[in-house]
Amino acid sequence: MAFNQLLAMVEAIFSAHEEELDCEGCDQEMPHLVEIIEAGEDPTLLLPAVQEHLNHCRDCREEFEALLVIVRAEDQGVLNQNGNGTGGS
Amino acid sequence: MQTKYRNRLAFARLAVYRTIPPKEMSLRICVVQFMHVEALLRVYLMTERTNEQWVADLTADHTVEQAEALEDLRLRLQRGIFYYLRRERSDLSSRSHTNLQQMAEDFTQEATLRIIKNIHSFRGDSRFTTWATKVAVRVAISELRRARYRDFSLEEVTADGEMMPDLNVLFPAGQPTGPERSAEQSEVLEKIRAAIQNALTERQRTALEAVGLRGVPLEIVAEQMNTNRNALYKLLHDARVKLRAALEQEGISVSYIHDLFR
Repeated sequence: MAFNQLLAMVEAIFSAHEEELDCEGCDQEMPHLVEIIEAGEDPTLLLPAVQEHLNHCRDCREEFEALLVIVRAEDQGVLNQNGNGTGGS
Repeated sequence: MQTKYRNRLAFARLAVYRTIPPKEMSLRICVVQFMHVEALLRVYLMTERTNEQWVADLTADHTVEQAEALEDLRLRLQRGIFYYLRRERSDLSSRSHTNLQQMAEDFTQEATLRIIKNIHSFRGDSRFTTWATKVAVRVAISELRRARYRDFSLEEVTADGEMMPDLNVLFPAGQPTGPERSAEQSEVLEKIRAAIQNALTERQRTALEAVGLRGVPLEIVAEQMNTNRNALYKLLHDARVKLRAALEQEGISVSYIHDLFR
């Protein structure tokens, strides 16, 4: 184990609160959170519990980031009907 | 399909075909062009559906509306998932375009079944398509995790029963800190080790080692511990709360650890 992993675990321990959103709660809020971010709003003010869960849960964070990428590409119109992004590589 | 939507599709189709010069095209190109334009029109126009229309059409069993809504949804999800696989997954960079398309198709098929099954849980606080994409993303990433950790064994990872490493493992090149600080660092590591051993259950220790220290996805660890991801998150959350209390009792804080190991 690298020192950074130990430090990440220690930080996760000390940021623990009695009441935290679980994965199911995060999953329900995720589409709303993505649209809040796409609208340029501050998610830490509007959905702090979801943001906090994402800081602790790699599984949910990975899914959230993937959803954000896809929704953003859809909104920006960079997908065609075959799913090929036309912007960048 | 709503009348308004149908009318808009007919109008758009007319407008597009008037711009295409068919005389100079072979029959094959005409057919390809036709399919291409139809797909583009449907993708463009389906964004006109409201949340209520999506739900109504998708749940209108054995109707044309349902078939069209399913096809629109499938197209949308598939292109989104393909985009993600191709653009965001460096671990899939060696896969061919066709292979990725097939993967996207398979994930979309599974996701569509789940969406229809769970459509009652859509709360309407986002666009329906964002919610549906979330379901598809979960299907895709779950399958990719399972494939990546196909040979993973939780028993092997936690076999030695020792979570906390010594200083020489943490810093193989050595810490230029002097003997006093090294002694204090070892003492803190020992306190963390003792807290993990005394405050946590065996299941919590196993989960913490696999997820917290080795970075294995919750979903994979949960399957091997015969539980589900949500329950495992709660188990780990409980472990973090217990460890925080135990370490604070020892006078350890995160800033203290930062300073000590800096």
